[in-house]
Parts: sequence; structure tokens; C-alpha cells
Amino acid sequence: MAEKHKPAPMVEEVSEFEVLEIAVRELAIEKGLFTAEDHQRWTEYMHTLGPLPAARLVAKAWLDPEFKKLAVEDGVKASLEVGIDWVNSMPTQFGTPSDYCNLRVLEDTPKLKHVVVCTLCSCYPRPILGQSPEWYRTPNYRRRLVRWPRQVLAEFGLQLPDDVEVRVEDSNQKSRFIVLPVRPEGTEGWSEDQLAEIVTRDCLIGVAMPKPGQTANDPRPVRPAVNPYHH
Amino acid sequence: MSKPHYDREHHVKKATGIGDPQCFKGEAGPPKFKVGDKVRVRDLPDIFYSRTQVYTRGAEATVAELVYESPAPEDEAWDNTEKVVWFYSLIFKQKDLWPDYPDAFANDTLETELPERWLEPL
Repeated sequence: MAEKHKPAPMVEEVSEFEVLEIAVRELAIEKGLFTAEDHQRWTEYMHTLGPLPAARLVAKAWLDPEFKKLAVEDGVKASLEVGIDWVNSMPTQFGTPSDYCNLRVLEDTPKLKHVVVCTLCSCYPRPILGQSPEWYRTPNYRRRLVRWPRQVLAEFGLQLPDDVEVRVEDSNQKSRFIVLPVRPEGTEGWSEDQLAEIVTRDCLIGVAMPKPGQTANDPRPVRPAVNPYHH
Repeated sequence: MSKPHYDREHHVKKATGIGDPQCFKGEAGPPKFKVGDKVRVRDLPDIFYSRTQVYTRGAEATVAELVYESPAPEDEAWDNTEKVVWFYSLIFKQKDLWPDYPDAFANDTLETELPERWLEPL
């Protein structure tokens, strides 16, 4: 009987950081700093977060100039209108140490394009945007965006004219950032729901621009980088 | 041997229901710089911890906004939260950070936040 040989299933490698996290978590539970239930509640809460409230915030700002003004002046207050309470959210009620409660909404204009990075680690407005995408955390993106922003944006498929000012926002302290892109042409008369659909996570980080008809992040093909990061 | 006592909860007590950095509001005193001021980033030693990027050291910038008050990261990393300072949002010309940044994109900028102690007037 000819039995077809099947390769053993691949076991995904556990990174050193994951091992470290498990070790510290178990020590903290043993020491009584928090319980396993606390940890589960926190993890489950983190998984409920996503970019939808931020997309809603942008759509509201496009429709209502007064709300746009509020969003740019006080992102934390504006977030309340899309259901995100930065200060009193679970479970610490002052953000987490890596989600400080100072949201700044960066307003693009036809001549100014913002794009967000955290060169020192991977600070990200998680209460309003959820967990950061994997590429956002890579040394490649973090190191290269500040140095060669136009090339990196081009790798994301965003080619900007020379007369547009590209402003890289290096999120290095207690502020967290989302981009308020320019409302695209072809969306005249759209409802808030329709507008919110085209504001993808990538638009909110600043590596893409909203387009009518595009409601998902572009697939991320792996291209050889210009000026790659060498470890 | 008695165990040393660490107050691990003072930050929680201070920030709950108010937010961080909001809980340090009003503690930094008058700010040294105002919006529009030109400053230079100092090149201070940072043996243990810092959040001042090496690429900003010695560069010129313009104050865009006084963002909040907070202990500087060099202190807060060691739980020293008494000395609260102003944080400024600064705009750098990319050309000033990277001398070989292309002239065609001379308008490009970079914005980041630094505590007052890292800045000197220009």
C-alpha cells in the first residue's frame, strides 16, 4: 500500500518577546499584581478594539465643520461622540501606559499630507484604532519613514506631487495621532455611513488616501525596498 | 530583614478618571517657549533612558504647539514624577535633519514632541 507522505504541520515559531511576555505575565500573576482573570478580561477588551470609531470620526468631521474644529482642537473630547472614552475606558481608566490619553487629529490639506510613525517603539492610538498592523511595528517602516518618506509612501502605492508638503509625525511621547485626510472628490452628497466606509486604517495612519469605492486596505505586496534597513 | 516599601499605586491614584498626561496639568509653571519660537534640540547625555531621537539632536525646529505638561521620560522611567515640564510639538525641516534630503522636496517636514529641558532658544 503506497502511503503518501505528508509533511508534519509547521509549528509557528514563538518569538523571544512572546516568551518574555509569558514569563513576566506568569510572574506577575504569581506575585498577585493581577489575576489570570484580569489578564483575560484585558486581552478580550483589546480584541474588541478596531479602526471603525476613527473612520466615523473622520466622516463626521467631513460633514460637520464645527465637529472638525473640535476634533483638531481636542481629539479626546471629539472621540466621545464616536463612543471612545480615552480617560474612562477599561481597565485602567487612564489609558494604558502605552495608550496615553492625548489624541491629536492631524488635518491634511490639498498641500499638506501627514503620515504617522513611532520610530522609538510602535506607539499607536489603540483605543480608537485597535491593534497596529504588523508592518507598522517593523524596524524597516519605523527607520525608513522618517528618512525617506516619499519612497516609503510610494512603496505603499501613494505617489505625491512635489508641491505637497509631506509631514512625518514621529509619535515619540504621550500624544497619539490619527490623520484626518482630505475628503476625496466623487463623494458629494454621501451619507456619514458611506463616507466612513472609505476611511480605512491605512488612511488613518496616513499611508493611503481615501478613494470612492475602496473600503479595504490595499493588499501589501512585498517589494524590494529602496534604501532598505540592514540589521 | 524588613522588605522595602514601594508605592506602586501613586500614579494610578493620580491619573484614574483624569487621564495621563492630563493629570499633570498646571504643575509645570510658565512655559519657556511660545508657538512660533525657533529652538535648537540640545545634545544631552542619556545613559539610561530617553525618548529624544538621536536624529533630532542639534537640529533647529519651530514650536508648533504647547501640547501638555508631564514629567520628562528620563525621570518618569524611574518613577520620578515630581518635576513636571512643558512638552512642545516641534516642526523640523527634513532638509535640516538629513543634509542630503532632495532639494525638490524642500517643503517636507517632520513633527515630533520634546520636553522643555531638551530645548534651547535660537
